[in-house]
Amino acid sequence: MADIKKYGFVIDPRRCIDCRACLVACRAEWNTPPGQTRIWVHTDGPQGIFPAVTQTWVPVQCHHCEDPWCVDACPTGATFKREDGLVLIDEEACIGCGLCVNACPYQVRFRNEVTGKADKCNACFHRVDRGELPACVATCIGGARLFGDFNDPESPVSRAIKDQVVYRPITPEVDTGPMTYYLSPPDASAVQVSPQPRKDLPAEVFWRKWAIPIVKVAVGATFLGQAGAFILQLLRGENEYEDGAV
Amino acid sequence: MSDETLTLEQRKRLQEQVLVKHHLANILTHWFNVAMWLLLLPTGIGILLEKTYPASSTAWNDLMRQIFGSTASLIYWHGVWGQIWIAVLTFNIFVGFRKYFLTFASTRMLLDKDDLRWLMIKPWHMLGLRKHVPLPPQDAYNAGQKLYSYLVVIGSFWIGLTGMIMVYSEHIPTSWQWVIQWAMPIHFLSAGITFAGVIIHVYMGAIFPEERQAFFSMFTGKVNGLYAYLHHRKWYLRKMAEKAAWEAEYRRRYREPAQAEAPQASTAPGTASADAPAGD
Ligand code: HEM
Ligand code: SF4
Ligand code: SF4
Repeated sequence: MADIKKYGFVIDPRRCIDCRACLVACRAEWNTPPGQTRIWVHTDGPQGIFPAVTQTWVPVQCHHCEDPWCVDACPTGATFKREDGLVLIDEEACIGCGLCVNACPYQVRFRNEVTGKADKCNACFHRVDRGELPACVATCIGGARLFGDFNDPESPVSRAIKDQVVYRPITPEVDTGPMTYYLSPPDASAVQVSPQPRKDLPAEVFWRKWAIPIVKVAVGATFLGQAGAFILQLLRGENEYEDGAV
Repeated sequence: MSDETLTLEQRKRLQEQVLVKHHLANILTHWFNVAMWLLLLPTGIGILLEKTYPASSTAWNDLMRQIFGSTASLIYWHGVWGQIWIAVLTFNIFVGFRKYFLTFASTRMLLDKDDLRWLMIKPWHMLGLRKHVPLPPQDAYNAGQKLYSYLVVIGSFWIGLTGMIMVYSEHIPTSWQWVIQWAMPIHFLSAGITFAGVIIHVYMGAIFPEERQAFFSMFTGKVNGLYAYLHHRKWYLRKMAEKAAWEAEYRRRYREPAQAEAPQASTAPGTASADAPAGD
């Protein structure tokens, strides 16, 4: 077992029967407000023509990406990536600005209507730290949701993807390194599962294009100005009878 | 700064005069403000992460987080101090609104014609040009200082408002989330621009030799007459007129005969005679 862990999910949509026990378990674990959830089971509805009809359900949660755009967007450092790969939110540092909600290409983040803070799946890190599974994974009767350490070849996730064709929900434009491996193509629910390119919010554009350059120029110019004046002052020397009028 | 129209005798007499420039309330508020800036600026820069604000440094971020224990408590203390800063300034303005704030705003912030002319001439002087054009006489604060006061008042207002929005962001509904989003860059921008002004202000206030009297006045409240006459003539003349008027009133009240003063060569500065022109 490797010293540094690399946590992630393996999801087998063929095994999901849309019972949504995982949603209930998650809500029970985290007391998410009514109308909001940290995890989903997406579907595009029945596909094909009778009698060749199929329907796929795709369990979804935060992918705890290797290159998480939510972390990049967070101005306070409230959203951060732990060494073991879990992407977590420090609620006390969060100011509920929602930049991370906008930045995540998977729409798995939301602002908790009760706490006013950013919210999402945290892989039940308190259970994981005790050696247990996330609540949704522990509950899943079909075995569609798996969780574990990809650095450990004996972990359930490593064993599940061994010699399998796996699908990561990425596109040529958007690759955040999602740590969810699907065991069958999730494109049945392409709309909900595949990532959407992000767009900067107006405040972010203002921030990068105006606020930072203006402050840099203003502080830089005044600093250089006073430094120059100070050097001149040293070169000239002071006249104690005149200058200070002391 | 020298003024060749003054004789050595007049300079000496002026130097012995003492004028009160700052009330204790003003001095205490100023240094309280400075103390809060010393707490708020380093912690504020510590909150800004290098990835979002390329100007800040990871080393400083880490140092601040180590001192405070965590990101959350760094933000918490920045918010607590910020609220103390806002509360005390608001309280001072509120309590002293008529006595201090209105007089301050009207006599030390409003720009008059001389100020506008000063602003047009001073930049040339700073570049070492047009030295032959004299600067118009200035009030208790020169036009540059007046502009700086606007910067501080407006800057502090926006820093305080956006700071409060972020501290109490959890009470802002999600449909108003843009308010929180805009609060961040505006907070940063107002603090940054105000700080740019502070850099010049501290140089002029603490280091620049000609303003040394002003520096000490922020502790003692007092400046000497020579500095006041050379740098803030309108204020000097008005103070002298006020003083003369008060003295005349005092004499009337106690029926003291007006003291014969030694005849002056001219109505030169350094005399507290009532016929000194009353500034503006
Ligand atoms: C070590 C830092 C500082 C020093 C040495 C300093 C020094 C001074 C001095 C000497 C004066 C009086 C000028 C005069 O009478 O002509 C003054 C006034 C003033 N200072 Fe500062 N200052 C400092 C920091 C700041 C900061 C950080 C701010 C605000 C952000 C500030 C805002 C003001 C304002 C608004 C005035 C004019 C209003 C008043 O009379 O209180 N100062 N300062
Ligand atoms: S899925 Fe979204 S919220 Fe989760 S780590 Fe990736 S970018 Fe962040
Ligand atoms: S809502 Fe919270 S976690 Fe998300 S970007 Fe803003 S401060 Fe960071």
